[in-house]
Amino acid sequence: MSPRHVGILLGKDLWHGPKSLIFVWALVMPVIISLAVSLIFGTLFSEKPRLGVLDEGNSRLVAMTEQLDSVTSKEYDSVSEIKQAVEDGAVDVGMVLPADFDSSVTQGKETELTTYIWGESLAKNRIILGATIANLVRDLAGQEAPVEIETITLGDEASIPWSERVLPLIVLMAVFLGGLFLPASSVIEEKEKRTLEAVVITPASVGDVFIAKGLMGIILSLLTGVVILVLNQAFGTEPALLVLVLALGATMAAEIGLLCGALMKDITTLFAIWKAGGIFLFGPAIIHMFPQIPQWIGRLFPTYYFLQPIIAISQGGAGWSNVAINVFILAGLDLLLIAVVTLALKKKRQFAT
Amino acid sequence: MNWRIIRALVAKDLSLFFKNRFFAIVTVIGLIFYIVIYFVMPKSVNENLEIGLYAPVMLPALEQMQGEGLEIERVESEDMLKEGVIEGHYVAGIALPADIMEGFVSAQKPVISVYFASDVPEETKDAVEVMIRELAYQQVGQALAIEVSEEIIGPDLAGMQIPPRDRMRPLLAIMLIMVETLGLANLISEEIERRTINALLVTPVSVKELFFAKGITGVSLAFIQSALFMAIVGGINHEPLIILVTLLLGAILVTGVGFIIASLGRGFMSVLIWGMPILIILFIPAFGVMVPGAATGWVKAIPSYYLVDTVHRVANFGAGWGNIWLNLVVLVGFDLALAWIGIMALRRRTL
Repeated sequence: MSPRHVGILLGKDLWHGPKSLIFVWALVMPVIISLAVSLIFGTLFSEKPRLGVLDEGNSRLVAMTEQLDSVTSKEYDSVSEIKQAVEDGAVDVGMVLPADFDSSVTQGKETELTTYIWGESLAKNRIILGATIANLVRDLAGQEAPVEIETITLGDEASIPWSERVLPLIVLMAVFLGGLFLPASSVIEEKEKRTLEAVVITPASVGDVFIAKGLMGIILSLLTGVVILVLNQAFGTEPALLVLVLALGATMAAEIGLLCGALMKDITTLFAIWKAGGIFLFGPAIIHMFPQIPQWIGRLFPTYYFLQPIIAISQGGAGWSNVAINVFILAGLDLLLIAVVTLALKKKRQFAT
Repeated sequence: MNWRIIRALVAKDLSLFFKNRFFAIVTVIGLIFYIVIYFVMPKSVNENLEIGLYAPVMLPALEQMQGEGLEIERVESEDMLKEGVIEGHYVAGIALPADIMEGFVSAQKPVISVYFASDVPEETKDAVEVMIRELAYQQVGQALAIEVSEEIIGPDLAGMQIPPRDRMRPLLAIMLIMVETLGLANLISEEIERRTINALLVTPVSVKELFFAKGITGVSLAFIQSALFMAIVGGINHEPLIILVTLLLGAILVTGVGFIIASLGRGFMSVLIWGMPILIILFIPAFGVMVPGAATGWVKAIPSYYLVDTVHRVANFGAGWGNIWLNLVVLVGFDLALAWIGIMALRRRTL
């Protein structure tokens, strides 16, 4: 291997890369996916019951609902609008406050409250919203709660919101989309256009070409991974350790990409691998999203040893001692993949120098 | 149209598609993964708040409150209550003081201890507190001067909610259909790039026959996989004919989209780059089914809405022809429009 040749080839790939659509796609796509997934899971998958309010007068109850932490509230302007929101499932319960609601309640006069309930709303959401509305009306009427509640927290496991549960998936996509696709597509393209054969008649060897393409994948996927973590404010307290794990993950992605590049003859096959084999890469992230699935299953996937340290450092504030074993396994897998790629190169006669 | 030529073209395209044995195997493996994902997802919905209760004296209001949405389980001691909370049997554990009734009578506020596991979200804690306060109001007889009228909008699914995996069923079926769009688009795009399409057109094959054959290839690939998936996951147990017709119309829809993508793309990566944004847009209605309320009226402008909505309503709500015929009419309209646009775009590029 010649570092000079690798440097020249890497420079060529980095210089010409941004002109290719795949290059832009592999870098931009994770950011777009990150923003979209954060929006979908961060806000749309909230488990809070949703209350719609239509105020036909000027009730203080509207402001009171907005201050609640236990429900999400939204105000509507007409009966048809609130009914439509209930029908669409945008809110679990829609409540219509009549014009003189506050004065009737404070004077203890009987008043009617119309509620629309979404048929698909969960029973627990209905009961929570029912109790919440009753509590608000009692507060409005000036009733004083006849009990005091003392809350006691047991255990030390923190609740993980959806936005945090999907972060590992986003990081994995960011690192593996570019890290795998760029070297793989670059090698396949060179094979298809037969430019690889032209390169190997120069002093550069096939090994140099593969190392350069692997480095390109590592650099770009590392960069994308860092950007995603910054965007999601998930850099944790050990940024250097996090970058080290990202680099090892990026190396794994690039090595798998090079292996695909060496073994596959066209991009269609690469896509087929991505379609079917993607589950092997993203399995641990999907398992992490659903605590109901036994978490030990995740350990069967190689990407677990990249993902677990990332989660532990960025979300759990872990340090080197907590993640060392998994980082060593990850490094071991990287070394193993280097051997596999070398073996694949030797077996492929068209790469013989 | 010469059907013999069309048959030969379809056979050629399908054999090209599956010529690579590895590609054929991973296509099957892909389908298996979709099925595995379905069966791994939760098959039921827990829509109750499970609350543990240690009550030396039972409150009548508490018994009245128990019902749909609230599942209260009494335990023998406060230690058992704490254990149940830590082990996740209960969202919250309520411990009532032995002298609670005396406290209510003497207007001294009794203190109720509520135990939560540390991973319970804050909103759930607030919600449980709200319910306990309401319970106390009812126990001391503080009346609420409002009369609540309730109207359920849509089918009332309380107690028989659609499990997440069944909500996901249309999304998975549609993902299978959509992904084949890219395969078809790539097949056509490669033929254009390699100019084999021009070679075909100097034979007795007409443009109409060529596109018709490509259409049949695309529809077959998309339809067979999605129909097989739906059959295995029980998606065609009710009104199988409607589901199959809908999937067929969906396959025609994505074939039209595949033509459009093929006319834009120059090679596989280009197809992928053009195809991804289009696929994401087409997936939106399926996400709307998974997360109700996320998408509102504007989603009806997306052609795949009529595919997703029909599959969802028929498979999950038992809808029949009378409920979904309009969706199918709109879907046919989109099919014709997109197929026409796709063919025109391809003609422009190839001829």
